[in-house]
Amino acid sequence: MTKTSNRIQIAETPLITGNQTFSTITDKVSSITEQKTPRMWYVLFGAASSLALIMFSLIGYLIWEGVGVWGVQIPVGWGWAIVNFVFWVGIGHAGTLISAVLFLFRQKWRTSINRFAEAMTLFAVICALIFPGIHVGRIWVAYFMFPIPNSMGMWPNFRSPLLWDVFAVGTYFSVSLMFWYVGLIPDLASLRDRAKNKIRKIFFGIVSLGWRGGNRQWKHYELAYLLLAGLSTPLVLSVHSVVSTDFATSVIPGWHTTIFPPYFVAGAIFSGFAMVMTLALVARKIYGLEHLITLRHLENMNKIILVTGMMVGYAYSMEFFIAWYSGNAYEKFTFINRAFGQYAWAYWIMISCNVIIPQLFWSKKLRTSIPVMFVASIFVNIGMWFERFVITVTSLANDFLPSSWDYYQPTFVDIGTFMGSFGLFFALFLIFIRFLPLIAMSEVKGVLPQADPLYYGHNGDGKGEKHGK
Amino acid sequence: MNFDNETYKITDSKNTGILLIIVGVSVTILSAIGYFSNSAQFFMSYLVAWIFWVSIGLGALFFVMLNHLTGAVWSLVLRRINESVMIALPFMAILFVPLIFGLHDMYHWTHAEDVANDAILSQKTGYLNVPFFLVRSAIYFIAWFLIAYKLYKTSITQDNNPTPDQIKAMRRVSGPGMVVFALTTSFAGFDWLMSLDAHWYSTIFGVYFFSGGLLSSLALLVLIALYLRKKNILNEMITIEHYHDMAKLMFAFTIFWGYMAFSQYFLIWYANSPEETIWYLHRWEGNWKILSMTLVFGHFVIPFIGLMTRTAKRNLVWLTIISIWLIIMHWIDLYWIAMPTYAHHGFHLSWMDLSLLIGIGSVFIGIFWKFTSASAIVPVNDAALTQSIGFSNN
Repeated sequence: MTKTSNRIQIAETPLITGNQTFSTITDKVSSITEQKTPRMWYVLFGAASSLALIMFSLIGYLIWEGVGVWGVQIPVGWGWAIVNFVFWVGIGHAGTLISAVLFLFRQKWRTSINRFAEAMTLFAVICALIFPGIHVGRIWVAYFMFPIPNSMGMWPNFRSPLLWDVFAVGTYFSVSLMFWYVGLIPDLASLRDRAKNKIRKIFFGIVSLGWRGGNRQWKHYELAYLLLAGLSTPLVLSVHSVVSTDFATSVIPGWHTTIFPPYFVAGAIFSGFAMVMTLALVARKIYGLEHLITLRHLENMNKIILVTGMMVGYAYSMEFFIAWYSGNAYEKFTFINRAFGQYAWAYWIMISCNVIIPQLFWSKKLRTSIPVMFVASIFVNIGMWFERFVITVTSLANDFLPSSWDYYQPTFVDIGTFMGSFGLFFALFLIFIRFLPLIAMSEVKGVLPQADPLYYGHNGDGKGEKHGK
Repeated sequence: MNFDNETYKITDSKNTGILLIIVGVSVTILSAIGYFSNSAQFFMSYLVAWIFWVSIGLGALFFVMLNHLTGAVWSLVLRRINESVMIALPFMAILFVPLIFGLHDMYHWTHAEDVANDAILSQKTGYLNVPFFLVRSAIYFIAWFLIAYKLYKTSITQDNNPTPDQIKAMRRVSGPGMVVFALTTSFAGFDWLMSLDAHWYSTIFGVYFFSGGLLSSLALLVLIALYLRKKNILNEMITIEHYHDMAKLMFAFTIFWGYMAFSQYFLIWYANSPEETIWYLHRWEGNWKILSMTLVFGHFVIPFIGLMTRTAKRNLVWLTIISIWLIIMHWIDLYWIAMPTYAHHGFHLSWMDLSLLIGIGSVFIGIFWKFTSASAIVPVNDAALTQSIGFSNN
């Protein structure tokens, strides 16, 4: 190489700070599950599970009385339940993107956040599945959603995007669960080896599936992980694309537009990252994980929030422009109506939270400021809920026939059920961080400088003089 | 071809670039004979050929910015090649000039009388009118020129006088550059291609246009690298690992293109609304059907399967074949988008389709070569270059 001396390096901030070693990471992460349950955990869990209980009670009430207890009416037959479904499925996408797509892109910074992001995916999908499940009306025949052979010769409509949802979300949940569990195995084995009492030893002994950390086990493990990442990657795109077809295959203005599949996917990743951010900031504060989830991780996440926020903004503007360009009176009306009609307030909340707020992250100062990113992440989540609300409700409330127009309002059952789903989500998340390692210890160790075979010397055998001055 | 291992410059064949440009211009001018026999065919062939090379330039511009924004190291050895493709893009503005004289032949919305009698087109005159169309085209090229020139110039400065400021400057340009790029490329797609069928509209069209160009520019990048390798240039710097990664990206963007194409087709097919389906019906008439199916299998299924395995991605002979294949498919894609507005009932290839593709292509490649031979062929003084050369997938 010529002129090597002329080259100037831009210093990269290390991923993991605080001079960690393999054992400090194991100690730090494992101890969270081993120590006595903090009082704060009980308080939070009590609050979350109470909220979840409210949701289950309201679901009971709904089943007893029928969907009339919701605000849905004619012409707005799809209300909060569908909005919540799309919202929660979207939240899940960040977990899969972090664990699968960023893995394929060799983004090593994913290691500190992938574990709990994946757990978040699972819990978000559980919350999502509740809503269409209870929306069917006769919930006791909800199993008709699946194509089960029966003596009446009744089948679901295979041409309906709603059925594709069942398959898409079902696949998504099972593959995500598998991916998450495979990733957990080496860490579960660490917990088993550290276990002080018999019950823990037996429990983690069973779930770690006999992991010994041998060379051959690692080889198979890494291949399996790569294959699962490859399988999960199309799911990041397919699930929300299928969800978007619930709307886009119709001929409703504002729903039927060709950009919907990629637009929904971008929005899903956007909202999911915001949720990961909210959870990461809280978890790192409570458990003192600042050295493992560093500012660099948070900054990278904010960059992704900025990028996907811009994509969502791009889709909004393309929709608006094409609605005008189409020369179609109904398309034009729908979009003008969104921005200036009876739901204008919701539209502008959506624009402010999803397009304007992420612009803060152009500034390095703001995207590395914890209070700013915490507030922004919550705004993004609010905005993304409103995006689904705007899409679902505005197009229905002012449909082709002005005589049937109406103003949709949720009832206390709608509101309580949605709030309750947050309770369920957080309760599940709290259970997870209490009993399982919330950071992928084995993967974080892999990005430490010590993991480089040449770290301790140039023979690559891990022996010899310590490298570096 | 001589190569200086000290400066990383190609020392001879300085004139090849000029020669290619002269040949290209001559072929283009000779093709203009066709204008006198069939002016509409001439302009349509010209449009397809010109957009084909523009879209490849856009792909390169995107790729350079993407690498700056992500701070990618592996692709650093390829940066200069990409930059040279990217910098050829603004020059395509000159070749836009002949199209100005063909607007009437190509774009139905320029026919004032028809527009006045058309309930829908008369609503669009605020956007679809000749002066605004030309202003927009000018804006696109000015924007692309400013971004590409700034990136290229900074990169060349880094060769001679490296400071950390240059990397920072290139990153700083790429952020807003990406936003400008997304909007200009989308609207360029709307203006130059979608408005050929002035009634029809699709929100995803801009992204669809972009995805094809990006895929082709990756394929062209592979071909250029393989050509240099054959001449024993950079064959130790651009290793099999880099080809593997480029192939991964080609695989990914094959899927990306398929995803965009499918989203557009599927939603229009399912909703079955006549004002939208007409566009696909035109492409299902006569032998257009053959091209429609060619795209499904040739632009998606074959490269999808063909680039799936690790072995395929690391086989340079196969990569040559699949890259050429993808570039041909991209041309068919653009031909299939544009030409049915002229040849309604079926396509019949004209000699001008080929001669103009080669003519404009020679100019494009000539400009590329001029820039390639003017400076080092890798960013010699970038700090991460050694790391990029030594990069491995394992």
